[in-house]
Amino acid sequence: MATTKTIRVNGKALGVTVDDAAMPLLYVLRNDAGLHGPRFGCGLGQCGACTVHVNGQPVRSCTRPLSAIGPDDEIVTLEGLGTRDHPHALQTAFIAEQAVQCGYCINGMIMQAAALLKKNPRPSVPEIKAALENNLCRCGTHLRIIRAIRRASGV
Amino acid sequence: MEMTRSAPDRREFIRQLGGLVVGFTLANAARHSPAAAAEAGDYGPPTDQVDSWIAISEDGHATLYSGCCELGTGSSTGLLQVMAEELDMPFARVRLVLPDTDHTPDQFVSSGSRTISAHSRPIRIAAAEARAVLIDLAAQKLGVPAERLMTGDGAVTLRDSKQRSVTYAELVGGRHFEAKITGRAKPKRPDEYKIVGQSLPRWDVPEKVFASFTYMQDIKVDGMLHARVIRPPAHGASVVAIDESSVAHVPGLVKVVRVQDLVGVVCRREEQAIAAAQALRVQWTSWAGLPDQKNLHATIRNLPEFRQGYPKDAPGGLLVHRGDVESGLSESAKTISATYMTPYHHHGSIGPSCAIADVRDDGVTVWCGTQTPYGTREAVAKFLGLANQKVRLIYAEASGCYGQNGADDVIVDAVVLSRAVGRPVRVQWSRADENGWEAYKAARISECRGGLDSNGKIAAWDARTFGFSGYSRPEYHEPKHGGEPGSLVTAQLAGWTKPGLEEGFSGAAGNFDPVYQDLPNKRVVFTYLGPASHRQGPLRIRVGSMRGVGSPDNIFVAECFMDELAAAAGEDPIAFRLEHSPRPRGLAVLKAAAETAKWQSRASGTAPGSGDIAYGRGVAMLGSDTDTNVAGIYEVAVNRRSGVVRVQRVTIAQDCGLVVNPGAVRNQIEGGVIQSISRALKEEVKFDRSRVTSLDWSSYPIITFSEIPDEIDIVLLDRPDLPPMRVGEPASESVWPGVANAVFDAIGVRIRQLPLTPERVLAALSGKA
Ligand code: FES
Ligand code: FES
Repeated sequence: MATTKTIRVNGKALGVTVDDAAMPLLYVLRNDAGLHGPRFGCGLGQCGACTVHVNGQPVRSCTRPLSAIGPDDEIVTLEGLGTRDHPHALQTAFIAEQAVQCGYCINGMIMQAAALLKKNPRPSVPEIKAALENNLCRCGTHLRIIRAIRRASGV
Repeated sequence: MEMTRSAPDRREFIRQLGGLVVGFTLANAARHSPAAAAEAGDYGPPTDQVDSWIAISEDGHATLYSGCCELGTGSSTGLLQVMAEELDMPFARVRLVLPDTDHTPDQFVSSGSRTISAHSRPIRIAAAEARAVLIDLAAQKLGVPAERLMTGDGAVTLRDSKQRSVTYAELVGGRHFEAKITGRAKPKRPDEYKIVGQSLPRWDVPEKVFASFTYMQDIKVDGMLHARVIRPPAHGASVVAIDESSVAHVPGLVKVVRVQDLVGVVCRREEQAIAAAQALRVQWTSWAGLPDQKNLHATIRNLPEFRQGYPKDAPGGLLVHRGDVESGLSESAKTISATYMTPYHHHGSIGPSCAIADVRDDGVTVWCGTQTPYGTREAVAKFLGLANQKVRLIYAEASGCYGQNGADDVIVDAVVLSRAVGRPVRVQWSRADENGWEAYKAARISECRGGLDSNGKIAAWDARTFGFSGYSRPEYHEPKHGGEPGSLVTAQLAGWTKPGLEEGFSGAAGNFDPVYQDLPNKRVVFTYLGPASHRQGPLRIRVGSMRGVGSPDNIFVAECFMDELAAAAGEDPIAFRLEHSPRPRGLAVLKAAAETAKWQSRASGTAPGSGDIAYGRGVAMLGSDTDTNVAGIYEVAVNRRSGVVRVQRVTIAQDCGLVVNPGAVRNQIEGGVIQSISRALKEEVKFDRSRVTSLDWSSYPIITFSEIPDEIDIVLLDRPDLPPMRVGEPASESVWPGVANAVFDAIGVRIRQLPLTPERVLAALSGKA
């Protein structure tokens, strides 16, 4: 039976009507909120393409059921991380390093890295690699992604 | 994303564009330069069709209506650079319209790393022509002869008095005029280039980083429903019965659709479609016709040769035959033989395939991430029994594909489901759909024999490979063949029986001939085994193109065997290659790579050290006079206890002719190398007797951050005197042999089967001990 629920996405309230509280957050963000940042890659929590922040923590939205999101939880997507006018340092750095090929994984890379930089503003290369170990990129953009994160951290 | 259903009328569309429009065709380009036509080959628009164009609008922007797909490689930025250069226009004022069969020309297939190498030339000529027209307009306006005018920064200026200038926008005004290629405009000389040759940032990167980019997977159409497909649990299984009551409880269910063995569920919302696809109970026939994976290569080796489809000039798959191989071998001072094996690979697109179809009585619109817009449109039209003009295909960039993933197949799913419900339907394949039903890189087995004379030089080379097609798209390698649905496994599931087009042989045989000149007594044979799909063919695992289309397998064999001969001769592998005289451009990249990597000259397999970690270096090269030349040097560390191979450092020297955008070229080289290291060390499609079983990332692991090399050093040998050549594939093709040769150097044992997994390395080490 359809129920309505309000969640907070990128600082705004979003009302959603759902039939199934177990539905993954990913589809709310993509289809109800119309966001392009979180991407569907596997739906299995294995690739990281769907990563968003929930209360500052990186979360795989493809396996996070909507039922686990409370009214006070702050969800931030790539759109909410920064904009062309107010870019996040990582967004500026990914452009400067051209750390994109097809770009399908890049949402996850930036969101995962943003959470890392919050905890650890100047991570070493091994720390960056450890933080991104479960984010997959098929285009082989890894070295550039590391360079972009280093640049964003001011090293 | 607006939708027009009106019959496509490109003439009318051009008129609506306003401004100055330069139509160009390859026919005109050819008149200007036969060499350009020969070079572009099949890749230009049809010669009788004037419908490629560059439009300069009254606000001073230039738009390229491109028939080329952008696949996330940056090639469209390169095309725009070429256009901006010849127009003398700031890069910020050029725009791109991606393929849409209502608006853009047929440029056949965007593959084989050819967007820049094949398509940039006609664009260059057309843009030069547009600039000449603008100069003529300015000459009239300013009342001076054209010779006294020059262009720059989107304006025409009087040479001797810089104050008198008129912008392109002013020249175009509110008028509309069309220009054709006359052949009188001269493109710039490479030494005049200001934009071409610069590492300009790619236009798409900011959109992707700020999430404003619209991938295929993001497109929404009014009234669109969501669907998922349910595939057979075995490649040859058929539907016995569908129990629709199993999904009666799913909210939002619109319809369960079955056309022969193509089964899908259509729902209002996406998560409903996922739930319905999971819940739907389908009874299938059983089928277990695949070989035991352990015997895969023996099975392939014993398949009968497929006789159709060979090019006339290579009957029986014989690519090269020089001298007398048998007597060369028997007279050799030393002979060796080797058998090499490579597995099937997944393309592994991070985003599974997706398409939207809107099938209505008055016409069909398809949104998709194909690489062959016109061929696929024709395939869809044939599938539906419609005229081509009734189908409009709109291209949208999807996740990187690296070849033929499910991008075309998913269109048939969408078309079938939309036809059944009379609404636009979006089909998103699951990860398992993609891994289970895409067109894999084919497995290969190859046998080599070689002989050395008493001076340690190659006296005989005999190589034979047994393989499948490298190309099974809905469009054959020549536009005139058009599109055929039979190439698509989804059409096969839906009961389409007419076979698809199959390039087979030539797509995969490519460069099996080694790059060294004048090897005496040489025989190179490609034994083609025929088309293969899950639903038909001699071995029911579907194959198609993947980055390099057979070349990585060919070069793996040729360059590993070259290394084996060098080791048998007790020679340094680079010195040995140099002795067998690669062509001049090959020589240059080999020397550049060796110098940059500080190559340690010695025979391979004699690396010093006996600790837990064994270090080695390996080399591989490829190329031809008319193509990109690459030499790659790979430095590896092999853990003798765990068997884990890590590639630590890579050096690539590449000559790909004129470099349009060095930054984008480096990005492609880095990416191709990392992806190919992943394939060399880790990847292998798994299957049981019924179906492919590597359906997710845990059963098909790819390289992760902890496994990538520390460094990829790239030397680009810029050759502005040569036309631009392929970029996306060649460097990656040096990886498999380069890494395998380095592992041999490290541990002194040769491993001839990919992937170089810890198990294989440990087995090799223990075999030695
Ligand atoms: S889509 Fe969520 S982890 Fe892959
Ligand atoms: S850039 Fe394509 S998957 Fe990472």
